[in-house]
Amino acid sequence: MVTVDPTKVADRIARPSTGGIRDSRGYRIFQVFNTVALLGVVVITLYPFVNIIAQSFSGESYIRSGQVNLIPRGFNVTTYELVMSDSMFWTSYRNTVVYTVVATLIAMVLTTCYAYVLSKKHLRGRTFLIGIAVFTMFFNGGLIPNYVLVTSLGLKNTLWAIVLPNAISVFNLLVMKSFFENLPTELEEAAKIDGLNTYKTLWYVVLPLSKAVVATMVLFYSVAYWNSWFQAFLYMDRAELFPVTVYLRNLIAGANASGAGLGSSDLAQVASNIQAVTMVLTVLPILFVYPFIQRYFVSGVMLGSVKQ
Amino acid sequence: MIRHRRTFTATSAMVAATALVLAACGSGDDGNSGSGDGDGVDLDGKDVGAMDDYDVGVQFTATEPLNFSTLYNEHPNYPLKDDWLFWEELEERTNVTLDTTVVPLSDYEDKRSLLIGSGDAPLIMPKTYPGQEEPFVSSGAILPVSDYVDLMPNFQAKVEQWGLEDNLDTLRQEDGKYYVLPGLHEAPWQDYTVAMRMDVLEDLGLEVPTDWDEFRDVLAAIKEEYPDSYPFSGRWNVPTPGGSMLNIVGMTFGTSAGWGFNHEQWDEDAGQFVYTGATEEYRAMLEYLHGLMEDGLMDPEGFTQDDDLARQKFSNGRSFAIGTNAQTLVNEYRPDLAETNPDAVVAKIPLPAGPAGNVINSTSQLENGIMLSSKAAESENFVAMMQFIDWLWYSDEGQEFAKWGVEGVTYTKDGDGTYTLADDVDFVALNPDGDKHLQEDFGFSNGVFAYGGSTELLHSTFSEEEQEFQEAMAEKDLLPLDPPHPFTEEEREQVTLWETPLKDHTEQATLQFILGQRDLSEWDAYVAELEAKGMSQYVDVVNEAYERYQAEHG
Repeated sequence: MVTVDPTKVADRIARPSTGGIRDSRGYRIFQVFNTVALLGVVVITLYPFVNIIAQSFSGESYIRSGQVNLIPRGFNVTTYELVMSDSMFWTSYRNTVVYTVVATLIAMVLTTCYAYVLSKKHLRGRTFLIGIAVFTMFFNGGLIPNYVLVTSLGLKNTLWAIVLPNAISVFNLLVMKSFFENLPTELEEAAKIDGLNTYKTLWYVVLPLSKAVVATMVLFYSVAYWNSWFQAFLYMDRAELFPVTVYLRNLIAGANASGAGLGSSDLAQVASNIQAVTMVLTVLPILFVYPFIQRYFVSGVMLGSVKQ
Repeated sequence: MIRHRRTFTATSAMVAATALVLAACGSGDDGNSGSGDGDGVDLDGKDVGAMDDYDVGVQFTATEPLNFSTLYNEHPNYPLKDDWLFWEELEERTNVTLDTTVVPLSDYEDKRSLLIGSGDAPLIMPKTYPGQEEPFVSSGAILPVSDYVDLMPNFQAKVEQWGLEDNLDTLRQEDGKYYVLPGLHEAPWQDYTVAMRMDVLEDLGLEVPTDWDEFRDVLAAIKEEYPDSYPFSGRWNVPTPGGSMLNIVGMTFGTSAGWGFNHEQWDEDAGQFVYTGATEEYRAMLEYLHGLMEDGLMDPEGFTQDDDLARQKFSNGRSFAIGTNAQTLVNEYRPDLAETNPDAVVAKIPLPAGPAGNVINSTSQLENGIMLSSKAAESENFVAMMQFIDWLWYSDEGQEFAKWGVEGVTYTKDGDGTYTLADDVDFVALNPDGDKHLQEDFGFSNGVFAYGGSTELLHSTFSEEEQEFQEAMAEKDLLPLDPPHPFTEEEREQVTLWETPLKDHTEQATLQFILGQRDLSEWDAYVAELEAKGMSQYVDVVNEAYERYQAEHG
């Protein structure tokens, strides 16, 4: 991760001719194109968000007639009031928060410990331990055996059915392992000489230096758990245990499942502004995680720590 | 979205396949229990809680409190609540409580496959559409329920009264038994048709079309007045392009297409099955639709666009006819148009007649129904459970209760059988002033428990205009049902392999012919392509299955 101080870039664009090295003409043309292209990407990325937000504040009939783009038409907040007054929505919401927090915590502890162990080259049986982790990336028991396992362990209809089966993502594990491998061994040797045992070394030396990777992993895990619905769908038999994603999916996919499979008397018709509001409310919290975590994406923490 | 759907379908197929394999393994240990020869089902000691004198017109009440596990299809419009009057009243009347496994409607079928495959299935599995039980039949995981219908007096009475024996035969599997208890309709119910802008017809002095030729003429007249529009722009194109429109057109052309597409079609004259996509009837249908497209009467996007776009075109006056059912008419088109064009009048037109006559399918007399876990037959409460199902889903009292609720609380009924909602209760906008909702707050008219039934009960929640439409539909002739031709397990496996490429190719060519990307003079080439994909082999297997069934059970 390389961060660039935005003020310096601005300086450079604003005063290209005064002092220092002049930017070449080619570079300036590149800058213009680059900015335009990236602005295009920004627009493409943001448009769906803005559109859904606009829809969430619009009247149903305006959405249906395709008149809502970036600005709400028939502005109202009654849909928000309606969705927020549904106790089922908040129950699901609370479930999602609980599942995400607990699952991310457990996943982080397990992944960090395992990755740190695997990063030690002198570990006996290290290849085997990596092997059994990687094996699960390519092979698994399949849906029904997993279901039978979780059920017979008595985890069905509990938080643990969601939290435990996927506690370690092998991809994340390998990323973390290679990050730890790149930490200078001298730092840990120095820590040992100063009297720290393995756990304390991990806690006081390695982890503080690994904020970037830890932050990334927290982000990966929490976004994945926040968005996941399949585990909950499989292992939860009661509506009050569903996370908000299952609630949302039923609202949207159920509403779109018109056609041959359903008798017309039973078509789910959920107004599109209700769908939009639910989407906005579901996405917002996880969207706010990004800015808070971004500040840990800093390079160069290791600079100057070791003189060789 | 589309990609997502596709992977998801793949997952479901995988679930079903795995379910099959696993359940097949599991059935080894108890393979000799149950079905055996079919007759002589042993019910000794399984009548705990059952009534001795249960019959038509008798209120079922278990002699001791019973609890049955049930799969429950969670509808986003009315999430399950434990304090529904439905549960309370059900327990009071029948002494039965239901232990529900709640599954979101969006993925109901996948979870059902998973539960059956893992041997964890609830005893009662409602909302199973005829045909969906087939993957599980050979595993022995679900109950051949036809062996036990003598425990269900109301079910039998209705089948006899409404003459549904032939309909039931279409459900029979290779062993001559059926595995799903379907919902029963007294009369066929054709809901889907075309909605048109009646105000425009009136302005132009046009009559409501009664057959497809008149339909074309009406569209042509509209096109003349509004040259920039495509008078017809269809919807319901997922998962089959043109699914709904092809279904209703195909039906009246004496074939099947779109949602209703069946690979095999019964040829009465030849006394055997032929491949639907290669019949003259199918070709006539394509010619008709291609004609509409060529004359600019039908939107070229009409068979592929999504529903929202079709609605937008209709509400913005860029189209004047669109596919509809009773609900979309009231809940979508009218409110849409009220916003953009208050003078517009929309109504269903009676399903136009076609070359096959003024007909509708009679298969619509069967609804989704109930599948039972084969574990149910081992329960000591088995007889009571069958009586309970019979009462709740098939008796007049049970159906009225599930649909309308409790008399005096949620509705009243006067002498001539007219139902009226209580003052504070609303349902399908019949009583917009009511502040409570029959489904959301009471749990009645719930798709899991209330469907089918007598025409009177079905029509009781219809608006007047819909009742008129239904009366027009009731005058139509019924298309004969295809004779039963259930497959053996190997045959089913084999035809499944052929089905997908055949169906894909038919769908693709259907669209190409209609859009004019392919000329109808290439029909023979198209039939040869179907042939190369195994059409004849497919039809041979179907005919073999038909003859075998005739010999054994006919």
